[in-house]
Amino acid sequence: MLLSGADRNRRLLTAAAGIVLAAVMGLVLIAGFRLATQIRANVATLQQASELEAYPSAISEQLTALRQRLDTLEYTGHVHGELDSSVRGFNRDFSALERQKGLDPAAMHAATALWTNYTPVLAKVLSYHGEPYSDTATNSSLSRSGRVFYAHVRRAELFAQANAAALHRELAVVSGSLQARTAAAASRLRWLLSGGVLAVLLLGLAAAYLQVARGRGERAARDAQDQTRDILATVREGFFLLDADYRIGAVWSQALTNMFGRSTFAGLTFEELLRDKVPPETLNTAMKFIKLLWGERAHENLMKSINPLGQLEVNMDNGRGGKETRYLQFDFHRVMGPKGVKHVLCAVGDITSSVLLARELHEAQENAHSQLDMMVGMLHSDPLQLGSFLDSASAGLKHINAILKEPARTHAEFSKKLAGLSRELHTMKGEAAALNLMSIAQRVHHLEDMLAELKARNELTGNDFLPLVLKLDELLAHLRGVREMTLKLSSLREQPSAADGTLNTPAPRLPTAGPDELASTLQSLAHRLAQDHGKDFKLALNGLAQCPPAYLGTLKDCLIQMLRNAAVHGIEADEVRRAGAKSGGGQVRVDFRRVESGFELTFEDDGAGLSPETLKEAAVRKKLLSEEQAAQLDNRAALALIFKPGFSTRNEISMDAGRGAGMDVVAKAVYSLGGRIGVSTNPGRYTRFKIALPALGETAVA
Amino acid sequence: MDTAQDTGARRTVKLLIVDDSNIVRRRIERSQQFDDLQVVGTAANGLEALELARRTDPDLVTMDLTMPQMDGIECITQLVQMKPEVRILVISALADKATAVEAMERGANGFLNKPFTDRQLNEAIAELMY
Repeated sequence: MLLSGADRNRRLLTAAAGIVLAAVMGLVLIAGFRLATQIRANVATLQQASELEAYPSAISEQLTALRQRLDTLEYTGHVHGELDSSVRGFNRDFSALERQKGLDPAAMHAATALWTNYTPVLAKVLSYHGEPYSDTATNSSLSRSGRVFYAHVRRAELFAQANAAALHRELAVVSGSLQARTAAAASRLRWLLSGGVLAVLLLGLAAAYLQVARGRGERAARDAQDQTRDILATVREGFFLLDADYRIGAVWSQALTNMFGRSTFAGLTFEELLRDKVPPETLNTAMKFIKLLWGERAHENLMKSINPLGQLEVNMDNGRGGKETRYLQFDFHRVMGPKGVKHVLCAVGDITSSVLLARELHEAQENAHSQLDMMVGMLHSDPLQLGSFLDSASAGLKHINAILKEPARTHAEFSKKLAGLSRELHTMKGEAAALNLMSIAQRVHHLEDMLAELKARNELTGNDFLPLVLKLDELLAHLRGVREMTLKLSSLREQPSAADGTLNTPAPRLPTAGPDELASTLQSLAHRLAQDHGKDFKLALNGLAQCPPAYLGTLKDCLIQMLRNAAVHGIEADEVRRAGAKSGGGQVRVDFRRVESGFELTFEDDGAGLSPETLKEAAVRKKLLSEEQAAQLDNRAALALIFKPGFSTRNEISMDAGRGAGMDVVAKAVYSLGGRIGVSTNPGRYTRFKIALPALGETAVA
Repeated sequence: MDTAQDTGARRTVKLLIVDDSNIVRRRIERSQQFDDLQVVGTAANGLEALELARRTDPDLVTMDLTMPQMDGIECITQLVQMKPEVRILVISALADKATAVEAMERGANGFLNKPFTDRQLNEAIAELMY
């Protein structure tokens, strides 16, 4: 800006100097021309004057010669003619001189007066045209007219002798003054020419100075331009100016090239710059914001605070055919002109790395936070409940695994799969949240989000489930960690127990609290299950206090599994129950009592019951039985299929067939204690499990 | 508030507070420190605000965005149509910049994020009033 001002001044100065010098030169030339013309005229006049000076003496001499010839009676004709032409010449030249201006007036006056007196005297001589001599045979003499002529000549000769010198003098004065005037004019011309030369010299000097100055100015401007270019090429921020049409100006910093993946920006509108890189709504907001910048309401601070482009997520081609997410920070500064906002200066920074870093930090913090929360949650929660949750969670995960392995092709099959998965996950999340195990609850929640996204799709393939499997593995590892931590925590209170930490082998036995804790765990589990699955049922527990501590752990595992089955599959939804004319709420009863042979546990729900036919079909589908074998089974034997290893936990998940998930695990636990398990059902009325456990020998009592 | 009447040269500025939370309304009312500011009304939603604005002819309106019945954006639009010279300070917890831009486009004059300090409130009001 400053540079161009100085430049403008210099240009004005150059123009002014040029005009002045041209005017001076013009004046010098005009004046010189006029002086030269005057001098030439003076010189011609001077020549006339000096010629005129010669006439008086010539006339005087001619008069004398004329008189002498008359004395000697010689021929006078040619002398008379010479005199005549001299007088004519004088008259001509003198009247020419009289017309000249600026001659010495006194001398001219005197000369004119003398000549005026002279003229009549001469006229008498010149007007004689006769023969002055009368000739006889012996001699010649003056004739009568000759004597008169002689007298005239004589008078003229005397007049000439008296006045010729005076006339000559006056004429000399005139020509002298003329000469002086010419000399003065010549000297003026000389001065003028010297002035002209001086002016030319000055003009040349000024031109040279201005040329040098302009060169210096241009170099400075070029340097400044170079510096600007260097700055724009080096600076890491993207800079450009937007005009009132939201177009980018001609100058912009090189950093923009990398940020926006294009090489030219001049003339591009802001909209074109961001189109294809941000979602349409974001672009829309951005354009509204830019428009506001030109308005009078846009204070810098206000606009800064509502800048929607402070952290703009843009999608860029990464040059390898893929997309890449970057974060750009736009800052806007208004450049004010005399008529309001002239430009808006945009500064763009690539803040991708700092955004990602901040995000990582945030995640790490969240992680640490949630781990701490989990530790605190674990310390606060009842170890029994924790153990119960972990057991139920591993059972849930096994279930989920089984669901994932179920082959599916049609959309209906996939939907069923998704429904089963989300039910399991939802239960798990509720349980984790109830125990304040937020790190687990969050992970499950994330899985639920992924499921929701899958549900929204129209087309599904087995591959779509892969990310889910990865996340499940993560959850599994996390649960393992929690279990290990739980064991460590418990080992602080009780003696250490062996833990091999894998989920595929039976879960490490957690310390078991008394029957009261078991009751409360079951009640809270029942409550959660009822909420999560939208079921309405009550759990009645009887006689658990009679359970010997040695059986308590197994009993708990079995009851949790059976309770889950009853809540999820046994008890029907409210509408179904009402349609089947059942009482509003469902009932799950657990009776534990001492019997002669030892102990007996009855687990009964008044739900939908089991269908032997469905169980048989499932067994055939899973190739546990051939069709013939299945046909031969009676109802009792068909019901017993649910205890068969691999029946439930391997592939059995489909909800229509689905009762008895995990019952093989329960049966195995019961058998390991030397007990027996049986099931009876009345479809639509109830399902009842009976578990008989042997009496404990003295040694077996813990 | 009565002290606002006896200020000298400067004209009393009439303030209308619009926010669905009574706590925020009281907070704004008590935190502003201008002698020549007179609270002429408080409204809990956009409809109430328009009705009050019609009656009290405020110079300055503090406007929440998320409100029942009529939200702030709609209210700003109608308020500006009704009283083009009114100055509107949006006070909102919405972190969404797009909404702020939208509010400005509809005619709001300033924007203040919740939560705000007394100083921020007074500065924001001062910027719009004088």
